[in-house]
Amino acid sequence: MAAFPTLRSLRTLRIIVSSLTVVAVAAVFIDIHHLIPFSLSSNLIAIQFAPAVLKYFFAAGSAVVAVLFVVLLTLSYGRVYCSHLCPLGTLQDIFIWIGKKKYTHRKFPYKKANYRFFYAFTALIILGIVSGSLVLFNLFEPYSNFGRLMTSLVRPLMILFNNTAVIILSATNSFGLARIPLTGPDHWNILFALVFLSGIAGLSLWRGRLFCNLLCPVGGVLSVLSRFSLFKIEIRNDTCIDCGLCERVCRAQCINSREHTVDMAACVGCFDCIGSCPEEGMGYAFQRRNFSVKKEDPSRRRVLLSISTALAATTGFTNTEDTSSAVIAYRAAKKQPIVPPGGRSREHFSQYCTACHLCVTVCPTQVLQPSVIEYGLSGIFQPKMDYTINYCNYDCVECGEVCPTGAILLMVPQEKKLVQLGKVTFVKEDCIVETKKKDCGACDEHCPTKAVKMVPYGKLRLPEIQNEYCVGCGACEHACPTTPRKAIYVTPNAVHATAKVRESKRKEPHEATPEEFPF
Amino acid sequence: MDRRTFLKNGIGFSTLVGTGTAGLSALIPHGLCAQQSQSLPYDLIAIKGGEPDVMFTKGMEALGGIGKFVKSGQRVVVKPNIGWDVSPARAGNTNPSLVTEIIKQCYSAGAKEVLVFDNTCDNWTRCYKNSGIEAAVKLAGGKIVPGNTEGYYHPVTISGGRNLKDAKVHELILEADVFINVPILKSHGGAQLTMSMKNLMGIVWDRGTWHRNDLHQCIADFATYRKPDLNILDAYSVMKTNGPRGVSEDDVVTMKSLLISTDMVTIDAAGAKLFGIDPYDIRHIRLAEEQKVGTAALGNLSIKRISL
Repeated sequence: MAAFPTLRSLRTLRIIVSSLTVVAVAAVFIDIHHLIPFSLSSNLIAIQFAPAVLKYFFAAGSAVVAVLFVVLLTLSYGRVYCSHLCPLGTLQDIFIWIGKKKYTHRKFPYKKANYRFFYAFTALIILGIVSGSLVLFNLFEPYSNFGRLMTSLVRPLMILFNNTAVIILSATNSFGLARIPLTGPDHWNILFALVFLSGIAGLSLWRGRLFCNLLCPVGGVLSVLSRFSLFKIEIRNDTCIDCGLCERVCRAQCINSREHTVDMAACVGCFDCIGSCPEEGMGYAFQRRNFSVKKEDPSRRRVLLSISTALAATTGFTNTEDTSSAVIAYRAAKKQPIVPPGGRSREHFSQYCTACHLCVTVCPTQVLQPSVIEYGLSGIFQPKMDYTINYCNYDCVECGEVCPTGAILLMVPQEKKLVQLGKVTFVKEDCIVETKKKDCGACDEHCPTKAVKMVPYGKLRLPEIQNEYCVGCGACEHACPTTPRKAIYVTPNAVHATAKVRESKRKEPHEATPEEFPF
Repeated sequence: MDRRTFLKNGIGFSTLVGTGTAGLSALIPHGLCAQQSQSLPYDLIAIKGGEPDVMFTKGMEALGGIGKFVKSGQRVVVKPNIGWDVSPARAGNTNPSLVTEIIKQCYSAGAKEVLVFDNTCDNWTRCYKNSGIEAAVKLAGGKIVPGNTEGYYHPVTISGGRNLKDAKVHELILEADVFINVPILKSHGGAQLTMSMKNLMGIVWDRGTWHRNDLHQCIADFATYRKPDLNILDAYSVMKTNGPRGVSEDDVVTMKSLLISTDMVTIDAAGAKLFGIDPYDIRHIRLAEEQKVGTAALGNLSIKRISL
């Protein structure tokens, strides 16, 4: 077949595509100076299968295109997504490549994937999503894990590097580069990222793409689809010289060179086998014959059922909807995470956020920070508003612009300015004006809607709250100088409310140039 | 190693190897080093009825020109109010065209470089951009410098302070040959009005301490530390209500005025009168006069009034 020489270039194409993808996705996550216009990289993020599927459930739009694209791609060519578009896949390939450089005899001989565990685990994760818990999904979903590796490990290093550069540059009187405050993540997020990184590195050095064929939920779904793919990699009995090189280069342990079989359900489509074959022994051909799927093991159903019951029990336990009444006590208020604007409600946000932390990276004030289990175990690592770090910029909608899953929905600034994330509580007894009998006004100063306004209080001025105008941005709370507790703080709304529009009223004439100076 | 030790070590290192002017001066705070300018014809210049840049030009002509303050080869720091992420029409930040004109004049007087910064309240990149000041600075060939992290600020002692005994001040101020303070006149929930003395809160790091320990007293205390060489109070558009951030353009009135003085207490007293408040009703003005920062008794001063 004349097509063979060009088939070899599939490997080169894969290396180019995957390199571009991983660099672009990583760049978006570690773009500490916000230099990359999101329109550039958004398509690569949008095509990430897991967030697109979540988005597809409720907000079709572009997600339909992304999901259909990946599904059709897999039904046509097998799991090429895993080697071309998945950033975590490419990260594993990098480890595999390093491993091969360092230990030249490293190879991953054929080993039948443990489909029983693999598919059961994928099904369990899907059941988790359906029953409202993202804990397993977020722990194993490849795109978000890659995002967290970037934001929790690489980004802080970039900031340290940047700030060192600033010091060196300031000695040469150059101010083009700004220092960036290192605001997170917390040690739990760093620890998990380190554990995940070691795990993924270990697995890939040990057995290549084992993660993709055992634990990855995206891999699981695509593996099932790839069983029906039109194009399949095959060993051509007529030209194969039985050298076994294809099996030695395979990172997915899916080629059995002795039996001349390629397991397309485990193949990640790296095309190394085709690229390395010394003869023309590998084919990648259109096959009409359907792969005969083995009959389902009846015991699997029982397993799934029991796991899903266990899971439902867990989520029921952690998803405490304790929003019975307004929580007045400061600590009680602080225990609840504040959902970012566009997140609609705790329920909506928690149900769709895969905790990739892209919003954490782009947030210009860094008020968005990774949580640990504040949303419950089912919402592990999902971002929350942290008013100890900063407050939400009134005119900013960047988190909604970048969110790939629709957990944070895009709003125009006009719309966002009326979203009420929570309401403020003012504790007069803790306020400087009351405790020290001195003027302060830090809360009023920062409030963008004047929901907090200073009113005469003897010779001083004391804050007065009009919660109908409050957007819950946390500016007053962040600015409040009292310790250890803030005298003014936001209690989150479990479901975002709408703030009242301030009626425009001009108190003074527009033009007031003085006739004479009053001095 | 945490970030701060890291940065501190970095500064220490740069000092050690002798390349760090920033690091070096950080260790030698020079406090009251405002250069004594030649005697001026007036204590206060008040201009009204023109565009901001025109008013500034006319005012400086009356005062004897910018050359009285800026000498050839000097490093000038201009400190406008860039505190808020609002458009120029909202008058939450100093008028950009005024900033451009000031920088241009500094260069015409031979300044080596003109640097501009503020420790903003809202996110600094958005403030710099949306206030129009970043563009205004670049237009005039000045440099806009970040003030967003603690690393830029170095500890100083305020010997004349009653409540505020120390603060961390931006390194640009510590290294400046000439310091020009360019506040905008606005209403303020805590300080009543924000003018030249209140504007100095943007050159320090920890403002919370001020709010905790009697804001008015701290404002007056810090005014004893480093007197700007020149104060220019922008009262072209004035936020009469809901200051200092404002809610809408309805808070703003056009007063087309500008004040210039080397004395912060004088210019703030005049600003208060312009706004319609008795200066002695504003405690930090009273305290600052008491602490000999300057004089608020406008009746005793020579004032040049210019109507355009």
